[in-house]
Amino acid sequence: MKSIVSALVLALCSGLSFSVSAKDTVKIAYIGPLTGGVSANGIGGRNSADLAVRMRNQDPNAKYKYELVSADDECKPNVGVQVATKIASDNSIIAGVTHYCSAVAMSTVDVYHKFGLPVMVWGAVLPEITYANDYKEVHRVNGTMINQNEVAAKFLTGLGYKKWVIIHDTTDYGKGHNKYFTQYLTKNGGQILGTFGVTADQQDFTAELTKIKELKPEVVYFGGLTPIGIRIRTQMDRLGIKAVFEGTSGIKSDAYIEGLGKLSEGSLSFIEGAPWEKLPGGLEFIAKYNQQKYPDAPEAYGPFAYTAANLIMDAIEKAGPNRKKVMDVLNKTNNVETIIGKVSFDDRRQNIVPLISKYVAQDGKWVVWEDSLYAKKQRKLGQ
Amino acid sequence: MSFDIFLQYLLNGLMLGVIYAIVAVGFTLYFGVLDVIKFSHGDILMVGAFAGLTAYIGIAGTFDSPWLQLLVLVLISLSVAAFLGAVIARYLILPLQKAPPINTLLVTLMLGLALREAVRLFYPNGSNPKPFPRLLPTDGISLGEFTLRSDSLILLLTGIICIVAVQRLITRSKIGLAIRAVAQDSETARIMGINFRQIVLITFMLGSALAALAGLMNGLYYNEVNFSMGLLLGVIGFSAAVVGGLGNFYGAIVGGFLFAALQTLGAVMLPAIFPDVPSAYKDVFAFTVVIIIMGLKPTGLISEKSSERV
Amino acid sequence: MKLLITTFVLGLLYSMLLLGSENQAEVGGLVVLGFIVSLVGKKMGLMDRLAAAVRVHPQFPAYASVAGVLITMAVFHNSHFALLMLATVLIYSVVCLGLNIQFGYVGIVNFAGAAFFGIGSYTAAVLATHTEVPHLVILLLAACVSALIGSILIYPVLRTRGHYAALVTIAFGILFRNFLEVNDTLGGPQGMKIPALNLFGWNLSNGIEIAGYEISFYIPYLLIALILLILSFKITRNLERSWIGLSMDMVRTDEIAASTFGVNIANWKIVAFTLGNFIAGMAGALYGMMTAYVAPNNFTFADSLIMVSIVILGGIGNPWGIIPAAAIVVILPEKLQFIQEYRFLLYAIVVILILLFRPDGLLPRRIREYFPGKKAGGEK
Repeated sequence: MKSIVSALVLALCSGLSFSVSAKDTVKIAYIGPLTGGVSANGIGGRNSADLAVRMRNQDPNAKYKYELVSADDECKPNVGVQVATKIASDNSIIAGVTHYCSAVAMSTVDVYHKFGLPVMVWGAVLPEITYANDYKEVHRVNGTMINQNEVAAKFLTGLGYKKWVIIHDTTDYGKGHNKYFTQYLTKNGGQILGTFGVTADQQDFTAELTKIKELKPEVVYFGGLTPIGIRIRTQMDRLGIKAVFEGTSGIKSDAYIEGLGKLSEGSLSFIEGAPWEKLPGGLEFIAKYNQQKYPDAPEAYGPFAYTAANLIMDAIEKAGPNRKKVMDVLNKTNNVETIIGKVSFDDRRQNIVPLISKYVAQDGKWVVWEDSLYAKKQRKLGQ
Repeated sequence: MSFDIFLQYLLNGLMLGVIYAIVAVGFTLYFGVLDVIKFSHGDILMVGAFAGLTAYIGIAGTFDSPWLQLLVLVLISLSVAAFLGAVIARYLILPLQKAPPINTLLVTLMLGLALREAVRLFYPNGSNPKPFPRLLPTDGISLGEFTLRSDSLILLLTGIICIVAVQRLITRSKIGLAIRAVAQDSETARIMGINFRQIVLITFMLGSALAALAGLMNGLYYNEVNFSMGLLLGVIGFSAAVVGGLGNFYGAIVGGFLFAALQTLGAVMLPAIFPDVPSAYKDVFAFTVVIIIMGLKPTGLISEKSSERV
Repeated sequence: MKLLITTFVLGLLYSMLLLGSENQAEVGGLVVLGFIVSLVGKKMGLMDRLAAAVRVHPQFPAYASVAGVLITMAVFHNSHFALLMLATVLIYSVVCLGLNIQFGYVGIVNFAGAAFFGIGSYTAAVLATHTEVPHLVILLLAACVSALIGSILIYPVLRTRGHYAALVTIAFGILFRNFLEVNDTLGGPQGMKIPALNLFGWNLSNGIEIAGYEISFYIPYLLIALILLILSFKITRNLERSWIGLSMDMVRTDEIAASTFGVNIANWKIVAFTLGNFIAGMAGALYGMMTAYVAPNNFTFADSLIMVSIVILGGIGNPWGIIPAAAIVVILPEKLQFIQEYRFLLYAIVVILILLFRPDGLLPRRIREYFPGKKAGGEK
């Protein structure tokens, strides 16, 4: 039945279009949240993967013409399983750039394994995605939250801060951050005065923040994403809490700065990978991205989606459009130069990120810590 | 807990309560005149806030005085919401009057989803939170740990004045009389020469304008608006209206403050009593109490006079 | 009979085309085609003739639907995604049949459908991971747990009605999801894995090969879903036709009149509420095992709304309406993937339009025929 339909449509299409491409078309997939609360990240990732495909298609040396099939997982595990089944059971799709939300990524790894579809996670940071299984299909190009928090804890205790309060959202993202940050902070001698779990759709944090004010912390650590990060930072100001605001990769977005205006000054954030602003590839990525006039920004994880799509297409160029062979090539990825720095996979196909970049918001921009006025002691955090 | 901290909690709770109460009053007005639940109420609130934001961006260059800016912003936001409310009543709610009441609920829910998605997709960079301008003076006084900023105070007073004004409008004015007449018995009201359709439209405009006001207050208080801000506020406003007693103006206000009190109390008490319980349980706490109240007072705290309409 | 068979064949062809079509032009074309056909059909009075034909052969739709599912299953025997969608439609139909007993018969609107569905899934997850209980028994146990937890709500639900009762269930739905998210023992926000269904030592997640044909591992789930659907459908139909259904109708339409006639309102409300949650929990357990993963995000207030909208779209109280409504609600957003981030906007608009033009749902419930077999007085 399906074949009849496709044959019919194929006939129709070929009747309509006269341009015959000399190259074979190869499909790769993108899955991320395109609707709902975190859709900004999902759309940014989709655009970045799309950019990678467009640029590859302009390259006359490429052996194949690529097509990006993108799907919306709504950041919901059951929808994730549904679209993952759809993508993975479609044999014309060779590999996938998949998932921003950790719970969704956790729920779909079995599907990819079952159908043998090589995928590369581009945004989900939960360690278990790569470490709780040994599926050769699953790769991850971004780092886990473990690396990030180790640096985050060491960095601030190194600056001499001692008393922390932790606010985290009750999603897997926030809870994971809380767990690893607490672990590394106590190891480095920091003291945690209180931990607050808040829901991701919460608007009002004044009750929690009043309590925090009473505790008088030096640093407020926030494990969560941009939208509630903005709300918490604003309400801290309303209640007159003067503490350093230390975020995670979740707030390293233009939206955070735009949403807070001057209040963003001095917020800290950490992200895996080399600071792409300093790499020639990264600058080129941004230039090309802006050239394509996507209506939405790539957001923090756009470069990872872009890298994942490129790694996959490189593997297809090398091994041909065959899932198994592409997977073998991807498994062996070692020391590949990309816009997020060198990518090497360990035995669980997790990118061993050599570097965590530290950022501070300064004059309406995220600035790499080492280049900031704060590192040069010309400004002080938490003013 | 020291006194200053207690004051701070009280202020936070009052502020929340005022916003909830204004949203709940809208629900109760609609239910009063038409016996319908309009679930897109929270999203009208969001649209109102975004309309205000857009107006601000449009006029920020023209007027310098923040008070003038505020006035224009409020006027535009309220009229956009009122217009939207009238359109919804005319084209979605009145045509469905004969259908089962649950249909109105579903239609308005879907409308809410459509509005939310439309703002997310079509407002420039709409999927990210937007900063809301700080138009009110931010200087304030501190008393120990208690900080009262003048903008908080202004907003709190505005909210209370608004609620009183609406109460006056409903109990003292001719339009209010007509609204109450329709609410009590729409058939008889019609016989008495009240233009039913017009009153319904006016009520929906009033309710939507109130929602927009709550949206603006929300924006000015938190200095941030986002496309999904109406979702939770809508559910809480609805809960407050029902707990207070649907169709009852005072019930909505009681419900609004009760809900705010429960949330604040949940956030303070729960971690104090059970150290391992995160404050995110405060909503679990608030909704559990709501369920218990509904079991004890099945038609709300201030119940309708005639809950059985025979 | 001829008309019925033609409709059946055409309907089957249409749904298979929709299920199998992958690209946007096909889907768009099919949706438009379906819309036009239903309009033209209404104009030509085909609907009435169809309804008359169904009355002559009352058993036909039931057999035809089962046959339809089986034929579709055979055609798509190795295309996993189509089968997953089909099974999802069936499972959602089962849940909504349960909600229909609550909502359509005694008039309790349950806005926590997804929560009871979720209780089923979570029970299945816990039992299948930590115990050796046979998996088919788990389906039953999950249903019981769901009904049991539902009984916490019985008291407030009995005391309240209309929108007040709606609030009780809404509050419970939100509470349930928050509870799961904050509570770590059940996996917290990440959720937990569910082992695949194991029937008499046969692990269903491995592919099956029969006589050289590769058969999707979703087929057994689909068959179980079909059996559950037939069972719950039988229950609802028989309930509706019995004196129990009559009492329930009375409870819904006029409680005071019902109590003067000696109908025990509380009893029937409890029966309907518990039975509905039981069915929802059972469906939830199967769904959990099929997707092999549960997480709080699967069971939000929005999901409960989807279930309620299926009941309303289908026509409140009519079990027949639920299946096409479930198909629309489950498959349409999925088939709209090609419009990506715009699909929820379009979906909301489509539902609003359907409700505006067919306020009683796709297949409104008919007025009871008190003398089955004879033409009822109210109808021509």
